[in-house]
Amino acid sequence: MPYSVLILDDDADFNSLLTDIFEQADYIITSLTDPIEAVDVFRDTDYDLVVTDHKMPEMTGAEFMKVIKKMKPEVPVIMVSGYLENDTIRELISEGVGGVFLKPLNIFSLLERTAELIEEAKKIENAPSGDGEDGSGEDVGAQLGFVFRSYPCKSGASASFAERLHNLRNFKSTLSLIGEPGIHYRSICEDIRGFYETDAEQFIYLSAGSFDQEQALSLIEVAKKDGAERVTCVLLELETMDAAQKTLATALSKKEGAFEEVGVALRTIFCVSGDLDSLFDEGLIDENLYILMGTAEVSVPPLRECNMDVGVMAQQLVVEVAREKSLAAVPRFERSARDLFRQHKWERNFEELRATVRKILDDNPGDVITHAAVKSALKVNEGASPRIRFESHLSSQQIDYLRAVAILLGGDRSKTASFFGTDVNAIEGKMT
Amino acid sequence: MQQHRALILRSNRFLGSALVDKGLVTTGDLEEANGKFMEAIQSADLKRASILSTLLFDLKKVEEAKLLDYLAEEVKLGLIDLNFVELQSLRPMNVDLSLCWASSTVPFDHVEGTYMLATCYYMSAPVIKHWEELLDGRVIWYGTSTASLSRALERIEEIHETEDTAEDDD
Repeated sequence: MPYSVLILDDDADFNSLLTDIFEQADYIITSLTDPIEAVDVFRDTDYDLVVTDHKMPEMTGAEFMKVIKKMKPEVPVIMVSGYLENDTIRELISEGVGGVFLKPLNIFSLLERTAELIEEAKKIENAPSGDGEDGSGEDVGAQLGFVFRSYPCKSGASASFAERLHNLRNFKSTLSLIGEPGIHYRSICEDIRGFYETDAEQFIYLSAGSFDQEQALSLIEVAKKDGAERVTCVLLELETMDAAQKTLATALSKKEGAFEEVGVALRTIFCVSGDLDSLFDEGLIDENLYILMGTAEVSVPPLRECNMDVGVMAQQLVVEVAREKSLAAVPRFERSARDLFRQHKWERNFEELRATVRKILDDNPGDVITHAAVKSALKVNEGASPRIRFESHLSSQQIDYLRAVAILLGGDRSKTASFFGTDVNAIEGKMT
Repeated sequence: MQQHRALILRSNRFLGSALVDKGLVTTGDLEEANGKFMEAIQSADLKRASILSTLLFDLKKVEEAKLLDYLAEEVKLGLIDLNFVELQSLRPMNVDLSLCWASSTVPFDHVEGTYMLATCYYMSAPVIKHWEELLDGRVIWYGTSTASLSRALERIEEIHETEDTAEDDD
C-alpha cells in the first residue's frame, strides 16, 4: 500500500514541485499551504510522514512540528527551507526532526531519507507491544535481537538508545551515560550486564554515599572470587561525588594507583545527571574526567522523549509494586489512564514515574487503575500545597543562581563562597 | 593560550566524539589519543594539545586526506590550501592569534562584513559556535589541512612581528 505524506509549504510553486516529486515516487499526497489548516487535517488523518517548510507567516515549521509531535509523536517530520542557521538545525534535530533539507533540494537524498524514516517508524509501530500480563517487555527485546528491560523501546529514542548501548557493549575502557535527573542508571547498567551471558563479566556499583578505595577494591575482589575475568565499575551520581572520590574515579578508570595491579581487567561506566559542559563549567567535573568521559558517550533519553514507552514502564512498575505488596491480582490501567502517563512531562523521569505508581497503589485502586486515580497521584507529585511548590521553585532558582556565579568565577569554590559571604562547604552542599 | 584552556578541552573532546560517531576512528584509538592529549594539557604545552594532530601524526590512526574527503563529500564543505592565499594581519579584525592556535582556525579574508574562516576543526561544534559568536555569525567556512593551517599561522606571526618592528622604529 502506498504511504501517505502531508506536504506543507506556503510557497505554492515550491509546494507544487514537492507534490510532483513525491507523487512521481508513488506517495499519496495531501498538499497544504496554511499551517493552521494543516494542524487540523493532521489531527484527523493518518499520515506516514510530514514534509514542512520552515519559514511561513502564521507559524514556523519548528512550531508546527512541535504541535503535531504532541499529537502523534511517532510520525516522522522532514523540514525543508531556503536557509537555516546551524543552531536552528541543531535545535530542530534535538526536537525530533527526521531530516533537514536546504533548497535547492537534492531530490534523491530527500526521497531516500523519506523512505528510511517511514521504514524506521513502521518497524517501531510493528514491534510487539511488550505490555503483556507480566509487563516484562522481553518480547520487545527479542525484536531488537537482545533483551532490554530498562526501556520497552517502543519509541524511536529509546530503541536507538538500546541499540547504541548494544553496539558499544564491548567498549574497552570507559563508557559515559549522560542524562537528566531521575534516570534509572542502575537498571540501564543491569541491561548492559545482561548483554553478556557469562559469569566472567561482572558489574559492581559505586555511588557517592559510600565510594572509597577500600570499598572498590573489596567489591573487585568479590567479583574475582565469583569468577570474573573482567569487572565493570559503574560510578553512579558522579557529579555529586566529592573531590577525593572524583580523583579516585579517575584513577580507577585509568587503572592507576591501587587499581594498577588488581589482577583482573577493569572498565568504568560513568553515570552523570546533568549537562556535562555545564557541570564542567561549574567545576563539578574536572578536566581529567571531562576528557575521559568523551571517549564513548551516550545520551540517555528522558521519559518525555519516550512517551510511547511510559505506559508500559508504568505497568511494569505496577507489577513490581503489586508483588512487593503481595496483592492477589495485578491492577491494570484503563486506556485513558495510560494516556495520561504518556502526556505527562516527567521532569524527574523514572524517579517521578516510580513515585507516582507507588502513590496509586498505596491508595488501593482495585483491579483497574482509573484516569481519576492517575490524575490525583500526578497532582500530589506536583505538590498539592502551594507552599511546597513555591519552596521548591525558590530552591531551584537559588541553585541556578549559585551555579551561574560558579561558572562566572571559573568553577572556583572558594571565590564562589567568598562572593556569597559563606564557607566552601555550604556552597558544595547546595550545588551537589 | 591558557585563557583558551576550556575551549581547547571542549573542542578536542567534541572533535574526538564526532570522529568516532562518523566512524573515522575507533573508540580505542580515541582513548589512546585522549591520554596523550591530557599529557600535553597537563604539561601546559597547549600548542601541542590536539587530538587531531595526535591521531594524524603520533598514532597514525587516521589519514588527513580521508578526513578532508569526508568534509568535502559528506559535509559539502569547501576546502582551501592557505599556502596560496595572501594572508594579512589579524589585528584589524580584532582577532587574537592565540585563539587561532587554540582552535586550529584562522580568518583569512574579510569581505563586506563577512569573514572567510579556514579550520581543521569543522567537526567540533564548540569551535564553530565560538567563532560564529565572535564574528556575529557572518562566516563562510572552509576546511584546510593541519600543515596548511600551521604554516598560515606562522606566516601571520611573522606579519605581526614585522608590524611590531615597524611600530618600534616609528
